Amino acid sequence: MTSIWEVIDRAETGTYMEETDFDLKIVAKKCKELVKEYDIRYDPKQIITSDDSLADDVFEAGLRLALESGIYCIDTKRVVKFEEYELKEGIISAPRRLIIGQNKDSRILYARGIEDERSPIICGGQAGAAIPEEWYLPMAISYMKEPLVDMINNGGLAVVEGRKVRTKTPLEIQATRRELSMLREAARRAGRPGISFIAAESSVSAMGDLAIASERYMRRTDSHLVALLNELKTDFDRISKVVNFYEYGAHNVTLVDPIIGGYAGGPEGVAVCFVASFLLGRAMYGSDFHVCHPIHFRYMSTSAPECMWNLNIVGQAMARNAPFIIMGDVWTSAGAGSEMVFYETAANTITNVVTGSHPLGVSATNGKYPHATGLETRFMAEVAHAAVRSKLNRKSANAIVVELAKRYADKQGKPDIGKPFPELYDVGRVIPKPEWNATYLKMKKEISEMTGLEF
Amino acid sequence: MSEAQLFEELANAVYAGDDAKAVELSKKILEAGIEPLKAINEGLMKGMSRVGDDFSQLKIYLPEVMLAAEAMKSALAVLEPEALKRGKATVKSKVVIATITGDIHDIGKNIVAMLMRANGFEVYDLGRDVPIDELIKKAEEVKADFICASTLLSTSMPYMEDLISLLKERGIREKYLVMVGGGPVTREWAASIGADGYGDDGDEAVKVAKELLQRRGAP
Repeated sequence: MTSIWEVIDRAETGTYMEETDFDLKIVAKKCKELVKEYDIRYDPKQIITSDDSLADDVFEAGLRLALESGIYCIDTKRVVKFEEYELKEGIISAPRRLIIGQNKDSRILYARGIEDERSPIICGGQAGAAIPEEWYLPMAISYMKEPLVDMINNGGLAVVEGRKVRTKTPLEIQATRRELSMLREAARRAGRPGISFIAAESSVSAMGDLAIASERYMRRTDSHLVALLNELKTDFDRISKVVNFYEYGAHNVTLVDPIIGGYAGGPEGVAVCFVASFLLGRAMYGSDFHVCHPIHFRYMSTSAPECMWNLNIVGQAMARNAPFIIMGDVWTSAGAGSEMVFYETAANTITNVVTGSHPLGVSATNGKYPHATGLETRFMAEVAHAAVRSKLNRKSANAIVVELAKRYADKQGKPDIGKPFPELYDVGRVIPKPEWNATYLKMKKEISEMTGLEF
Repeated sequence: MSEAQLFEELANAVYAGDDAKAVELSKKILEAGIEPLKAINEGLMKGMSRVGDDFSQLKIYLPEVMLAAEAMKSALAVLEPEALKRGKATVKSKVVIATITGDIHDIGKNIVAMLMRANGFEVYDLGRDVPIDELIKKAEEVKADFICASTLLSTSMPYMEDLISLLKERGIREKYLVMVGGGPVTREWAASIGADGYGDDGDEAVKVAKELLQRRGAP
């Protein structure tokens, strides 16, 4: 594996290039060429594909993109390139199994396969959201007290003790430490003291991240996300985060979120870009696992059909050719309190577990509003386990997902954003209020009947 | 080639992002004695409007939009000086836009900038992680109509509030229409900080900007 120090050297000595040239002449151009050369096509009727050769083509195209493009370092305007043997070393050495969390709350996080019959790991929380400090603790407990939730990735704090947190100011340190302190407290109160976190979401720059590399806050069995910037870019803030956890010994996780409609092009180009990003993320950040988060240029949601197709084809491409541990995001347009959130969650979750990733969510309203609770994450977990128990294959899963998507696809522009956490949960006892619970039961019954899944 | 055909060809060249062709056609238009302003409106703007429509429906993607915008810019460099000479220059609304302090995510902002250009705005894109005083300085320099700020980070949202506060502090708040947007930014929050406009996406941002101009009675 290429060392992080070698990566930093290359960020300072690689080919100099203007960023727009990298965006247009490298990423956009190559994605377009590779999609054409490999004849990769998105078919909205095949959100979950059964064509192995398509998955292999996406992988091969992605590997070529990774080799030809490299990663652009914004700070130095230089391109960090890797040789083929370095990317392949990254594949060979990537963990297939990791122990996350501690003691009774530890879990084995593993590289899922296609139509994998093992129980998926459920990562719960409203990842990516700014959650009000006064609800943070009960909201975190609402996820941790769900027995099917194996690990946590909740949002960050934008206000601490009444002060608005501004990026790259001292308050970023306070917010990140407070986030971790509250997650620890929530874990104790929920009787899950060893549950594993993906956390430090309040650390936008490296500042907060540096401040929590301590067992008091972030344990070595926990993880943080290090994004690849759109598309195929990084900067010294991201690399600082990597260096911090590299020496501290907790897990670096690549967050990859290419935009459908952006520089990589449409769904097909984004799929190619995803594979390249995972391979480069592993080589550059030494990431132990990866988060797959296709972004729809308008709706954001991973539940948009084009995004689910990406989760599907990228999951399969990686599972067949480079079995990394991948968590697939479940980000819905709708919020907790709505009926729509259940359709989106079911479709997105089935797609993930059948095609090689573990579900991570539910980040309701795409994290825009703190309209999220543990209950829709319980539903996500139930769907995930039911899909596996039913031995759902890709063909049957596709039929279900296409039908589910019809229930919400035309509403993603104007979704029902639901209600804030305190309106849906009894905050003291941390249980769903009767009305929200009734909606959950109704939708669970309806979706179970519609899909034939028993949960 | 008739006037209508030339305009159609010009629109096609812009749509295809073909710089050289757009410039060549613009020169031909001038040589033929055709009104340049008409060519801008019925050729260039028509082409960019198609670009905007197709991008909204994901028929084309950001790189194509950027190339089309470049082709339009090249053609404008030929047509606009002539329109000015004839005293018939287009009066465009000016937009200063940036991803605000602390945030380096700029694709959303780039999309809005491109769509605004496609809809005839003169856009000054300052890039990302831009301090609020730089936004204001540029707006003052170019006599902008709009200051637009974007962020994907909730911890950069307070800088948008700071932007409005600083405009007020300097007594120039009324000079500008301030629009905000980005992943965590909501309509309600935009209203709460006193922004003039908000867009859920690029299309809405353009629509709102046009409405704000109409309300203000600007060009």
